[in-house]
Amino acid sequence: MHELPVVLDILRVMEEEAGKRNFRKITRIDLVIGELSSIVGECVQMYFDVASKDSVCAGAKLTFDYRPAMLRCRKCGREFPHQKSFTCPACGGDAVLIKGTGREFYIRSFEGR
Amino acid sequence: MIRKGEKMEVILMKELLGANDELAAKNRDYFKRRHILAVNLMGSPGSGKTTLISAVAKELGGLRTGVIEGDIASSIDAERMEREGIRSSQINTCGECHLDANVIRQGADRIDLKDAVVFIENVGNLICPAEFDLGESVRLLAASVPEGDDKPLKYVPMFSYVDAVALTKCDLTEAVGFEKQKFLKGLRAVSQAPVFEVSLKKGCPARGVKAVAGWLKKKYEALEKV
Repeated sequence: MHELPVVLDILRVMEEEAGKRNFRKITRIDLVIGELSSIVGECVQMYFDVASKDSVCAGAKLTFDYRPAMLRCRKCGREFPHQKSFTCPACGGDAVLIKGTGREFYIRSFEGR
Repeated sequence: MIRKGEKMEVILMKELLGANDELAAKNRDYFKRRHILAVNLMGSPGSGKTTLISAVAKELGGLRTGVIEGDIASSIDAERMEREGIRSSQINTCGECHLDANVIRQGADRIDLKDAVVFIENVGNLICPAEFDLGESVRLLAASVPEGDDKPLKYVPMFSYVDAVALTKCDLTEAVGFEKQKFLKGLRAVSQAPVFEVSLKKGCPARGVKAVAGWLKKKYEALEKV
């Protein structure tokens, strides 16, 4: 939902990192996005293409690694990724969200020269 | 040795939107130093947030209370609070759909309280406020019965983000066919937060306000003494 501030944050971080390492160009940025972080990759890409034009990131490729929220079955204890359903695939029991999972949102790595 | 101009991969592991989190940490420290229980109250437009604050603040009687009102443009809620004798300050987000940590400090400075319960009424929205830590002490959600019993599983980021849920407008349960068990089952899948059933229908005895106030009072008493 807040992809523009997110993109501006990415550009700010990358300017800083590029400066530190004397990179003239950032060619790839790898993002990790949790399912519950309400960030849409396509939207990030759209804003990024426009906002990065005159920056060190111009033309950089974005990659998105989506992480699901994790659930734990109340009946059998099995842990599994949330895929629209809260029913355990093993025993059919009701599962609960494991607190804190699926909220990841960070730059894992980048490539530059 | 990497030669100049050669491509190189860097592992960074850097959180995004870190700027808001840093400001939130400062707010948290500010509230702690002033012995303030800051309550981030979230919920859809029309879920009864302002009415809930008004009733709970009265119930908290002996405690000092204040309100930071977040709104996209108007000051209707802050004026209402002032009329009811609750110290308040208005933050207008100029169209933004949520409050962020940056604006909270200004609002807190304006009401200038110590040893108090301060409500932060977020912008009516069931999505975005769950993405922005304000530095609050507790998170309370006003979820109203007419919004429907399927909401916990449709708005997982919000329902899993809060510490307690006030289920408001309970007097409408039958009228809208709200299934409480379905709501609770959905909620329990994503959160262990306590639920307070509230009804504040005009002209009827209030329900559930004491329970919400009691929960907040306990949280206030558990604050570290300054």
